[in-house]
Amino acid sequence: MSNNAKSPLKVALHAMDERSVRTMVMYLKGPCQGAAVVVDKASAEVDIFDGDSVNAKQLLAERLAKPTVKQVIVLSLQNVYLDNVVSVKKPVKSEDMLGALAEAKARFEQAKKNSPTIADNEASVDDIPEEKPVLKSYTINTDEQNKTSKHQTAMQLNEAAFGTYIGNVQGVDVNDPAQFAKATYVPKDYFQGYIQSAINTCQDKNETLQLHSGWRQLVLLPQSHEIWLDAEDKELRAFASLKLDHAPSKKMSLSPFHSELSTLTKSPEKFHSMDAFVWKLACWTSKGRYPDSIDVDHPVYLKHWPNFSRLLITPHAMRIAALLVQEPRTLGDVAVVLNIKPQYVFVFVSAAHAMGLVAQARRESDELVQPPDLNPIKKQGLLGRIISKLRGNKA
Amino acid sequence: MSQYKIIFTGPVGAGKTTAINSISDTPPIKTDAAASDMTKSRKAATTVAMDYGIMNLAGGEKIHLYGTPGQERFDFMWEILVNGGIGLILLLDNTRTDPFQDMKFFLEAFDKFIGETGVAIGVTQMDISTTPTIDDYHLQLKTLGIKPPVFSVDARVKNDVSVLVQSLLFSLDPGLEEEA
Repeated sequence: MSNNAKSPLKVALHAMDERSVRTMVMYLKGPCQGAAVVVDKASAEVDIFDGDSVNAKQLLAERLAKPTVKQVIVLSLQNVYLDNVVSVKKPVKSEDMLGALAEAKARFEQAKKNSPTIADNEASVDDIPEEKPVLKSYTINTDEQNKTSKHQTAMQLNEAAFGTYIGNVQGVDVNDPAQFAKATYVPKDYFQGYIQSAINTCQDKNETLQLHSGWRQLVLLPQSHEIWLDAEDKELRAFASLKLDHAPSKKMSLSPFHSELSTLTKSPEKFHSMDAFVWKLACWTSKGRYPDSIDVDHPVYLKHWPNFSRLLITPHAMRIAALLVQEPRTLGDVAVVLNIKPQYVFVFVSAAHAMGLVAQARRESDELVQPPDLNPIKKQGLLGRIISKLRGNKA
Repeated sequence: MSQYKIIFTGPVGAGKTTAINSISDTPPIKTDAAASDMTKSRKAATTVAMDYGIMNLAGGEKIHLYGTPGQERFDFMWEILVNGGIGLILLLDNTRTDPFQDMKFFLEAFDKFIGETGVAIGVTQMDISTTPTIDDYHLQLKTLGIKPPVFSVDARVKNDVSVLVQSLLFSLDPGLEEEA
């Protein structure tokens, strides 16, 4: 038993709910080695307040107004500067708490000696930082909740489903390293290029625009970052793979959208988030190729993780993202290191590139330093089983 | 058999209990519910102060899913919780006044654990409050010098939570593959 535990400081807890009280009791008993023990308010030598609770300010004001030898400790996320109050900043560390208890104990002993004359407490609770409201005010637009397409969770493709869903390119084996140079496509030649250009324009103008493509009605809404398309995914997938005619008579154009937005909200399932739309459009346009602006012999890197919970997840996409966010690698190197078909790397990079998430490492140092091989984590088998469970719900 | 666990943390109301519920094979033990029962039977000493769920893996292994108490913020709880943890899921509520402050608080509080393992961040309530955006979070994280996964998450949707946890695991080792 520690010295502290032989004569523990008697403390009372204030402005804490039942759960906090239980936690605090455990805390004093365990990490604080019994330096203090929770007692009823009348028997306490020290009062401990949770300075962040809703009623803390009022309770503390009432307590400080009473002349007493009892000492006060305040636990708070913010720095508390009050006379005759010992403060401990959250997260409460055992060392800090033990120090505060020792200080409060010393003050209590001193105050007892000076008793019965007790100086009025000069501390003012106005010195305690006001608790900020924790919630922003907002208006819930119920139309938002009906836009199922926008809020649809990401679909995860496995390798078997990938071929059917993404399609392939005639005349080139994108998985043959000798043919990598031919496994490119030019986004501008496809609907993808027009959409990316239209998005840039509508965002620059911050204006709702309609794209006249000679195909289906498409409206771009920059303020909500959405696209409304009068077509199903399978139709878009087919259209995405068509190389478009650039003849002047076939050019697409943009014009302001003059109709009432309510005409669109009648079909909430046709709304797409711009990011999710561009991402899947790039996947379908790529068909396992990569954009011609990427040099397959130079490393690329990922600026940050894509928002996968709202995007089409192609096979191995998360593994590729995890690797490329760590360090630049060539596309071929990614396929080798992860032991996967290059087409999976190409389609991921096409989508991430369309979102502006991929860049080519141009700094000399990026190319001189050979990225290290992967160091398998010790628990690889276990983590793999967790992945299987999460994906397939195998028990 | 070793105890494997994934830790869910974040401010009150960010969806920790709901997220655990989404992927747990057993209904999560909620502290509040347990507390009422314990109060009735006067066994307060055995009450835990956290949320808890289990994922059963093939072969009989169990992954324990722990949610940190959101209000208490006592680091001793976290020290105990994270011991032996696989990694950290940080859930942030986008409707709070300053979710970046919350993010920094929890990243700093779990700094050591994150350094030894990894973290994936899920932002909840984005359908109610669309700002800050996910890109805004990445910009903030850039200043902190880390690039963890950050996804918008509906904690009630199993797939959202599943994708978030998967990203954490792949962050730890991109070479991971599914195992039967």
